[in-house]
Amino acid sequence: MRQRAIWSAVLVVGLALTGCGSASDSGKSSGGSDSKLVVWDWKSGEPFAKSYLDKAKADFKKKHPDVTVEFVAQPFDQYYTLLGAAIQSGKGPDVMLFNGGGQIRDRVDALVPLDDYVAEDRQRLAGWEAFGKDGKTYAAPVTLQGYPIYYNKAIYQKANLDPASPATTWDKFTADCAAIAKAGSKCFALGNKEGVGIQFWLSSMGSTTLTAAEYDAWITGKRDWNSANVKRVFQTWKETGDKKMNSDGANSTAMFNDSFALFQSGKAAHVMGLMSDVGHWQDFNEFLTPEKLGVMKAPVVTAGTTPSLPYDGGIGYAVAKWTKDPKVAADLVRSLSSADALKAFYADAGAIAADTTIDVSQAGPAVATLVSELKSGKPALHVALSSKTLDLMGRLSQQLLSGSITVDEVVKQLAASDQAG
Amino acid sequence: MPMGNTQPSVRPASAGRAGGAAVTPATHRSGTRPRRTRGGLGAERYAPYILVLPAVLIIVLLRLYPLILGVNFSFTGDGAQNGTAVGFGNYRELFADPLFQTALKNVGLLVLLLPVAVAIPGLLATFIYLRVPGHRFYRSVYFFPAVLSPVIVGAIFNLLLAFDGPLNAVLSSVGVDPIDWLGDPDIAMFMVVGVHIWATFGMALVVFLAGFATLDPALLDAARVDGASLRQVVWHVIVPALSRTIQFVFVTTMIGMLTSMFGLLYIMTSGGPEGSTYLPEFYIWKQQGQMNRPALASAASTILFMIMLVVGLLQIKLLERSGKED
Repeated sequence: MRQRAIWSAVLVVGLALTGCGSASDSGKSSGGSDSKLVVWDWKSGEPFAKSYLDKAKADFKKKHPDVTVEFVAQPFDQYYTLLGAAIQSGKGPDVMLFNGGGQIRDRVDALVPLDDYVAEDRQRLAGWEAFGKDGKTYAAPVTLQGYPIYYNKAIYQKANLDPASPATTWDKFTADCAAIAKAGSKCFALGNKEGVGIQFWLSSMGSTTLTAAEYDAWITGKRDWNSANVKRVFQTWKETGDKKMNSDGANSTAMFNDSFALFQSGKAAHVMGLMSDVGHWQDFNEFLTPEKLGVMKAPVVTAGTTPSLPYDGGIGYAVAKWTKDPKVAADLVRSLSSADALKAFYADAGAIAADTTIDVSQAGPAVATLVSELKSGKPALHVALSSKTLDLMGRLSQQLLSGSITVDEVVKQLAASDQAG
Repeated sequence: MPMGNTQPSVRPASAGRAGGAAVTPATHRSGTRPRRTRGGLGAERYAPYILVLPAVLIIVLLRLYPLILGVNFSFTGDGAQNGTAVGFGNYRELFADPLFQTALKNVGLLVLLLPVAVAIPGLLATFIYLRVPGHRFYRSVYFFPAVLSPVIVGAIFNLLLAFDGPLNAVLSSVGVDPIDWLGDPDIAMFMVVGVHIWATFGMALVVFLAGFATLDPALLDAARVDGASLRQVVWHVIVPALSRTIQFVFVTTMIGMLTSMFGLLYIMTSGGPEGSTYLPEFYIWKQQGQMNRPALASAASTILFMIMLVVGLLQIKLLERSGKED
């Protein structure tokens, strides 16, 4: 027994001192033969993606008739775990799908900068910033993801509010919420079990809580967590909890898709939703007809601010460092965001595609409003934060709702996490 | 699992040591054989090693080597520091992380709740053994949750325990305010552990029933003739006679709690609310899959491995000691 202990000690100390090897093996190039490209995503298995992929493949075939493309659909909840394993081994797909923001920025070491290849698409597509780091672009956007505030016009009518002109200031908004509560509905459908609710809150309310200068500074990384307006974002969040404006049990309600179900079924008047994929206009239309569904601008919290739609590149395809010929892989990425392919994606998947030239007039007033606001839109605030800070913010937001922490303590902890990473 | 009932039924005095000791006498004894065939076949001398080789190779290549690699990774950095040695940096970061501290505290909580998790199937098995009315029915019903996947169990209880769910509806009908079962950090962990016990006690129940099969009914009859109450029968006859089964269930339940609650956690609370239901497993998954910190996750895995090792060794010690008492 004693000898065993000594040996284990020797082993541990030895490993600690040398610490050789590495957790992720970068630099090695392998995988993917000349005539075949492997693509990883979590979409290609879905029926709605079929026509999109067909269009993209056809486009790619024109450029490279001799290269075959294989799409491998991974389950989304395991996607980044599997991708992490692939990156560590230095082998894996040539092209892969990413969410914009932290997910791709954390992994740019394994990706090829695409700036030289996608120059022609710059103007046509929107949402590039979410896939860039340090001035380089690593993926071409497919969809745009934004965080609009949807509202239920039928509930507004029931509460004797004008559905055509929702509140434009925070004070008026809380007064409206009181009226909505009297009419028997909750103000917000909130699911904060995963701690994602606060991310939507931060981004949706950011443009009307922070000044324009603070907003731009936030995006470029100069975040002043002690500013009164940043604190105000968390104060209004806490206020929604204190004033019982949120649906009950927000901390145990899943955002996807329980909170959206609450909104759809008319139990709450507002929801901070998405533009693409899930929790958006097309999803809601199942129960809320397009006439009943409204999109409103964020109510002004800090006087002198102008509301703007927060949005970023939603998902986009990137090229792995270990691919044999980055040019061919980049051409595939371009095909995957070609105009025809994106048009099919918008129509079948119910997403706001990155190509802003697509005609969306058929999809109802909510979508038309969204697309018209893209021009004045700005990158979403939470996308600029690291995954670690977002995770912490999620937990702190739950504490704010349950009343076990103060706003000052929250910004202190977030500032520390933001500066560390 | 069936080892649990075969062992007590054979019940040789050295059964506890049989596993480890059986190999060594065999090799020693083979030492007498070469005397007969001295200078003869070398192959025969190497035969045992060759026969053991596949098993050893599998253990070394697929278990020990990855384990050492993992421990090695845990001493390197993540991200920009990828591949460079950082000594105990990851471990320092881990122990400073309040989330990991919560995870370790929750492991402590699991250890504290272990007796409950063992007592429930034990008591229920006792009732079935004592043939309470409807025992056949209960026997199958109790086992039923054990065949459900944790994901399904989690989804069922998510619905039941939702704020506007049936449990709160029942409570409010008797005038109790609704409770946010999975949204209150003081309650959520107990709910998850409770559901885990509900979902897995069927297996332990079967082990207990198998243990009862080896119990000498004459002892029970004698106790009854002497006028022992049910409590006395359980405490003075059943518990001592089943001590080995109970220990086995303790070991398997502990391992089950530490290593297979991920599915339930993921579905029921996702580690929340406020990070109160983190367990090391969930922490490892989060760091590796969500935060892209494989080296930090390796360090957490190493610590989880150490915990399991200590718990396992302690339990083997306990088993050995009780084996000697027999």
